[in-house]
Order: sequence, then structure tokens, then C-alpha cells
Amino acid sequence: MGNLISAEFRKILTTNLWWALMIPTVAVAFFWSLGWSISGIDLDAFRLGTSQLPWSAAALARGFNIAAVFPMVFGGLAFTQEIGNRTITTTFLTGAPRSSVLWAKTITYLVWGLVYGVAIGLMVSLGTAVGSDTGHLPDGSTWLLIVLAGVLMCMLWTLLGLGVGALIGSGIGTLVVLLVYALLVGPLSELILFGVTEGSKLSGFLPNGSANGMTSSTAAEAVLDQLRPILAERGGILEDKAVEDLVWISAGAPGGLTQWVSGLVFLGWTALLFGLGMLRNQRRDIT
Amino acid sequence: MQDGSGRIVVRNLSKSFGHVAAVQNLSFQVEPGSVTGFLGPNGAGKTTALRMMLGLVRPSAGEATIDGEPFERLTNPGRVVGAVLEAQGFHPRRSAINHLRVYAAAMGVADQRAHEVLQLVGLGGAARRGSGVFSLGMKQRLALATALLGDPRVLVLDEPANGLDPEGIAWLRTFLKAYAATGRTVLISSHLLAEIEQTIDQVVIISRGQTMYYGSLEDLRSSQQSRVVVRCSDPTALVKALQEAGIFGLEPLPDGQLAVAGATVEQIGDIATKAQVSLYGVQEQRADLEQLFFRLTSGQWAAPGVPGYAIPGQGYPPQTGYAAPVQPQAGYGAQPGYASQGYAVPAQPPPGYVVPGQPYQAPGYAQPGPATGGWPVPQPPYQAPVQPTSPYQQPVVPQNSPYQQPSPYQPTSPYEQPIAPGQAPVAQPYQPPAVPDQPPVAQPPFVPEQPPVALPQSPAAEQPPTSAETAPAQEAPEIKPLDLPPAPPPPDAAGQDAAGQDSTGQGDKA
Repeated sequence: MGNLISAEFRKILTTNLWWALMIPTVAVAFFWSLGWSISGIDLDAFRLGTSQLPWSAAALARGFNIAAVFPMVFGGLAFTQEIGNRTITTTFLTGAPRSSVLWAKTITYLVWGLVYGVAIGLMVSLGTAVGSDTGHLPDGSTWLLIVLAGVLMCMLWTLLGLGVGALIGSGIGTLVVLLVYALLVGPLSELILFGVTEGSKLSGFLPNGSANGMTSSTAAEAVLDQLRPILAERGGILEDKAVEDLVWISAGAPGGLTQWVSGLVFLGWTALLFGLGMLRNQRRDIT
Repeated sequence: MQDGSGRIVVRNLSKSFGHVAAVQNLSFQVEPGSVTGFLGPNGAGKTTALRMMLGLVRPSAGEATIDGEPFERLTNPGRVVGAVLEAQGFHPRRSAINHLRVYAAAMGVADQRAHEVLQLVGLGGAARRGSGVFSLGMKQRLALATALLGDPRVLVLDEPANGLDPEGIAWLRTFLKAYAATGRTVLISSHLLAEIEQTIDQVVIISRGQTMYYGSLEDLRSSQQSRVVVRCSDPTALVKALQEAGIFGLEPLPDGQLAVAGATVEQIGDIATKAQVSLYGVQEQRADLEQLFFRLTSGQWAAPGVPGYAIPGQGYPPQTGYAAPVQPQAGYGAQPGYASQGYAVPAQPPPGYVVPGQPYQAPGYAQPGPATGGWPVPQPPYQAPVQPTSPYQQPVVPQNSPYQQPSPYQPTSPYEQPIAPGQAPVAQPYQPPAVPDQPPVAQPPFVPEQPPVALPQSPAAEQPPTSAETAPAQEAPEIKPLDLPPAPPPPDAAGQDAAGQDSTGQGDKA
């Protein structure tokens, strides 16, 4: 197994994909969180006395959520590139049983998910720190919690991508499915479901929703924890529920579950897709 | 447990893709120490069969083992079997040396080995270039280098000569022979017999997913006979004279010429002179292996009823196969069937056998049955248009190697052999050729289901290869280290990289 893992690392390090994806990853993570942390300042326009609210936690979370598509793509290409280049033949010829190849890939890509996650964590922290008004920065523990959950989310996204790639087999098909879902279908459907079900937590059970919940729920709760007393002080200008919904949406997880439940749900989704992909690959005829 | 023999055993392997049966009931065994050719026309199922052996394609039925184990259960398979399946299994931007380093890591061999095999295949000068810019021949070399990385006991190559320059092919030929000579197993597929004829010792011929022949190339080769095609003034008289002289391998050709097997040009000339027949043209012809191969693999596709030639009382199977489209000498292989004449079958069913258009287990090989002394004329379940069994008598030459025994299941020799002693064929009056579109009434091809002579049978022949235990005598020889000069670098590799010369030199030292 050690040999196969070493081979998988060499496969990754002898081609350009890992750093070619790393560049947009860090760029997106930085600028996305920078943008959101700058926009958080504008919320003061409501003059709710919210200048001390940790809005920028949402910038951390959103930066993670969007940049996580890159490790997802990286995972998605793990098998499909090998199938596309037909190196999968040699890979299976030098590693038997096939399951050992699959596990070597799994471990390797978990590590790479971690690498991407850490890189994203650094960049969103930097982006938030640069863009955010000092008053809006979350406290250290919230910050750390979001980053840790975000790194874990990146690792799970990598595995999910790996599973989907192994399931579909075609690189283009995998990329289209993953990107269209993670960037378009997922967020939109969650928002619609959230609206239609009047702010229920259903969206948080969807794959993308649960992933976003891992980071965004921490951010949303950090904001709400401070917002609630302010609202109560002011005699409740807005209905609590509407405010909460708005906060959840702006933190990037409409209908998000709490952090650890989100994590479990997303782990379930990852395990399902990963498992299906592994099964498919175990039985695939390499012709 | 892996037995370390390097033997490949294929048993009743079948694979269907949807409704298409790519491989049907394929069985054969590849022995260490020899180069075995795996031959069949395009689409015969070669690649699928190879991929099933290597665990890449799941068989619908049957199994294949290498070293006594299915591929999936080999520990570190790269050290046991190396395979060149296609010249495309590369990341286009990963350099050749890095490609090898990846798989060196997977097999747990030192990186130095990657350099060695690269030199060995003559790609030392192209080590740092991505395979995306490689020519097909260079890719083949890189694929071979990958296969050799783990210094495997078994080498499987699927059409490895594709894209190789003549120099590369010559090198590969020498290399594979040397590789096998060290006690390793080499299985090499091709759709062209001529391409690998010089390289192989054993041959497995398949067509439409079925085994058509499995045995030594020597046997196949020995079954080719020359014949003399004669144009004369009076064929009937000449035939009569020849038959009186004891030459019965006669066959009229559609163009009015007469084909005579088992006689020299001089003999025929003398006989013709005595019979006062004028000879207008005498030409000696030899059927080569390619024609034999063609007959074995395409016979079943050809239409039956190619002009045959029936000598009364002699079963003349319609020779569709041999007479098939590109073979102008229709009925060329037509043989008098000796079913009624004491057909001298070699002592035992050797591993070499041929099944015409039948699934592999058909006669003999899978179920040889008890040897009886009698002469049953078994009716094959299906009368194949191709006459597979050799209707003439093979010279029974007892030899040490079972592989060198003439096989009763061998393909028909294209030409009749001289009548063997013990056979007393009655001279037959010459008959004009049969009506072309009507196959002559013939006995069904004589397919001996049982070896008629009761003799000890070799374990290998008694049953389909089951495991290494069945053939204790065939213990794998000790593997010797391979000491071969590296391949000449392809022009495209050497030309573009001056370092190529130096590196090749290092390879020599290594």
C-alpha cells in the first residue's frame, strides 16, 4: 500500500495539474473573502448598531465554500484523468487487487484535500483580514473553528469528486456534473427550497447545503449570537425569524444545519458517492 | 499461493459485451521458457482475452491464472507480469522517466531501474520529454520499458510491433527470444503471423473468440508441404500414371491444371514422359504458414462449396477454408480422407490441437476419453466446412517433447503427404473436378475424438490445463539474469537529443 501511495503522489507531482489548480484556488479564496469582508462593512448602513458584529466570519465561510470547488475538481480528475490517458491500465497492472489502488488514491487525495484546504484557509484568512473592518472580525475561536471545518470540508469535497469521477469515468462529464451542481444547481435549489419551505432546514440536508453548513453555520451563529441581544434591546425591529434567515443566507447556508450535523450529513453524501464510485471502478472493464 | 512458475493458464474463458461474444470458451496454456504467439485476425478477441488474463476485463465465464493465481490475487503484480497492451497509456505531459518512476514506486523497485529500462529500449535520449511528443514507435518502446520495470517473469505484449521501425522490430525479436531463453514466459499477440513467425515457438491461434490451434509452431510448419502444379496435355492420363506410380496427392485445379503433392518435379516429369503426356508447365508451390493461418482463422467465414475434388471412396471434405477468397488455388488443400484406411494418428493427443469452427473442448483435447484401439469414425457434432484434422498421415516420429509430436488435431496440411507405410490406398481412377458450386459428397471430416492408439498420455494432454501440478515435468526453469544490449534508439529520439548517445553508452555498461 505504501508503494501505491508513493506512486500516486508521484503521479500528481510529475504533472502540472496540482499547481495549475492551486493558483485559481488561492486567488479565488483570497478575493472572494476579501470581497465579502469589504461588503460586510456596508451592512452598517442599516444603522442597527451592528458595527461590532463579526460579519467577516461569513467572508471566511463563503471564501471556503467557493474555493472548495477546486479540490473537488482535483478529486474529480483523480480517476478520470487516468481513464482518459489510459494510464489506468498500467495503474491496475501494477497494483492488485484493484481495491488497494482505490485506497491508495483515497489516502493520497485526502492528503491533497488537506493541502488545498490549508491553502484556502490561509488565503481566506488573509483576504478577510485585509478586507474586513477590525470590528467585524470574528473572535479567534470562531475563526479557527471555521477554518478547521473548512479544511475538513475541502477534504470531503475532494473525496466526493473522486467518487463522482470514478462513477462517471469521463473527465468532462465529471467536471460538468460537479461544477454545475456545486456552483449553480446546488446553491439555487437550496435557496428556492429555503424560500418555498419558509426557512426550513431542508436545504441543509442537500450535499452542497450540508457542505456549506459546515463553515457557514458557524459564521451565522457567531453573528446571531451577538445580533439577538441587540435586536432584543431595540425591541425587535425586525421579526427574529426574518433576521435569522437573512443572516443564514448572507453567511452562505440558507437552511444550514449546525456545524457538526452539517459535517455528518456531508460525510454521508461523500461516503455514498465515494462508495458508488469505488464499486463502479471495482467492476469496470478496462478495454 | 503463487507457484512462481510464470505459467499462464487460460481455462474456458468467455466474455460477452452485451450480445457480442468477444471470447468464447478459450483455453490454452503458455509455458515458461518459450515465446508463444497469440494469433488471430482483427476482432478475433485477442485483446479482450489478454485483458482478461491481466484482470482488466472481467470474464463472463472461465478463468485465467498467472503463476497459478488469478491476476487479482498476485502480490505486487508488476513484479510477476509485465504487459504492453497499448502504446497510449501515458500522460502526455509526464516525461518518460517520470512515467517510469511512478510505476517503479508502485512496484517498489529502485528509481535506478527506470533509467535502466529506458536505456534498454533505446529511449535514453528522450527521458525528459513528455510522451505527448513521442512517435508511435517511441511510445511502444516506453510501454515495453514500463512492462520490463519489475523484471517480470511473464511478459505479455499486444501487437508490440505496431509503429516500430524495422530496426526496432529486429531488436524486439532478439530481445523476446533472449527473454524467454532465460526461463521467462513471453506471450505476444499479433494479427500477422509473418510478423512474429521468426520470434515464436508456440502458437495459439484464435478466430471469432475461439481457439483454432494451440501447439508448437514447428508442428504447424511441418504440416506445410510443397506441391507441384502441372499443366499438361492429358490430365486424365497423367493422373492415372501418377497413381500407378503410387502418387495419390492429386488434385485438379479449376483452371485445368493438376496439383500433385508428394512428388518432386523430376518424378512427375519422368512419369509424364513414360505416360507420353506432354507437360506444358511445371511449377513448385509451397504453402506458407500465413496461408495456413489464414485458413484457420478465416475458413469459417468463407462460403462452402468451393470446388472440391472427390475421389470416390475417399472422403473429400469441402475445403472452404483453404480455398477462401484470396486463395486462388481452390480446393488446394483437399485431401483424400483416410478414415477408412487406417489413419495413423500419433500416439497421443499432444497439446497441439485444432478445432475447426468448434468450441475448444471439442475433439480430443478437453475430453480425450479412453483410448480405444478401434477405428470409430466419429461424426463431429457440426460438420465444419474447414477440414481441420489432418487427413493424411503424419509421420509418427517419437520425440521427446510433447510439443513436437505431430498432432492429430492439427490443421490440414495444405498438401497431401506421401502415403505412409501401412496404408494401402487403392488407386483411384481419375475423376474430373466436381461441379464447382456443389460441394462433393464427402465424409464428414475425420475428427478423431479418441486417439486410436492406446499409449500413455501426457498429463498435459489428458485434460485441460488445470494447474501446475498437472505438469510436474514442466517445472519452470531457473530464471537467469537477462543480459542484452539496449535497443538502438529510434531516429526521432536520438536525432533530437544529443544526450541520447551518452546515455545509451551508459546503458551498455549497466
